[in-house]
Amino acid sequence: MERRGRLEIMRDILKIVQNNHKIKPTPLLRQSNISSSRFKEYFNEILNKKFIKEIKGNRDEKLIILTENGEKFLEKYKIIINFIEEFEL
Amino acid sequence: MPYKEITRGAGKRMMEEILIGTLSVEILYSFIIVICSLMIFFGTKELYKLSGHKGIKYFRLAFLYFAIAYFFRSFIKIIIVCFGMDGFRSFGFLFGAASSFLFMYFSIMAIFYLLYSVLYKKLKRDYIKVFHVGLLVLTFVVIGFGNNIKLILLANILLLLFIVYIVYLAYMQSKKKKSLNLYIVYFLLSIFWMLNIIDILIPDFLRAFQLLIYLMSLGVFLVILYKVLTRAGVN
Repeated sequence: MERRGRLEIMRDILKIVQNNHKIKPTPLLRQSNISSSRFKEYFNEILNKKFIKEIKGNRDEKLIILTENGEKFLEKYKIIINFIEEFEL
Repeated sequence: MPYKEITRGAGKRMMEEILIGTLSVEILYSFIIVICSLMIFFGTKELYKLSGHKGIKYFRLAFLYFAIAYFFRSFIKIIIVCFGMDGFRSFGFLFGAASSFLFMYFSIMAIFYLLYSVLYKKLKRDYIKVFHVGLLVLTFVVIGFGNNIKLILLANILLLLFIVYIVYLAYMQSKKKKSLNLYIVYFLLSIFWMLNIIDILIPDFLRAFQLLIYLMSLGVFLVILYKVLTRAGVN
């Protein structure tokens, strides 16, 4: 199986968040299918880019939701990939 | 012959018309290239902001540097058209050496950034700082030697050969050989950049082909702009 690139992993994590609407960090890590150290790295990146945000649930648990920037990234993902491929960047 | 040397009679009127025509062509040419380059830079802003992709960053910077380089080029050309090559040299540090320095530095760095956007993945280290420092030193040396035309030409020919070699290597190592068009476009861009430098250094050398070179150079920029705007989804 081919190793996923950085943007593809970010897309996959955001897709999981989008499909679940709200998700706890542990199931997100499990569904992302990457090691916890790599997950931490990507999680921090998408958090810093404000693609996702952390909120408190009813039982005070930490939940992850998708932001407007995250929606935009998913929307533009294909365009970004096509652009990178076209110009071999 | 520069405009300032013709001072009398019908010759002066004719020279005035030629001067206006030449200046219009120069300004229009640089203006279109600066606009194309800035459109590429700003048209890819969102893609970079969202992805943080290094290749997109270098690609954008290449066109920002092209825009700055062509701005200084038009500045130098206007002075040369009006006052001649000697007039340009006697303009003092601010307009003479400084504008030559900026034009050379930004134009070569633009080409480097374009190559780097394709090649950075194959390199183990980040060489951008090395390029900047090396080029600053090279440009200082060349301009410090009193804008020696032969030295500038030699430096640029060596750079062009290096670029052709790198583009060829990148093409041969490219995973999808179908992207030959991209390499042809980058190759042409480097050739026209070289011709633009020759045009600045030896204004009479390419006079007969100047308009053709300008049109072809514009064509290359417009092709890249079209590709960028359609691929980046910019209206």
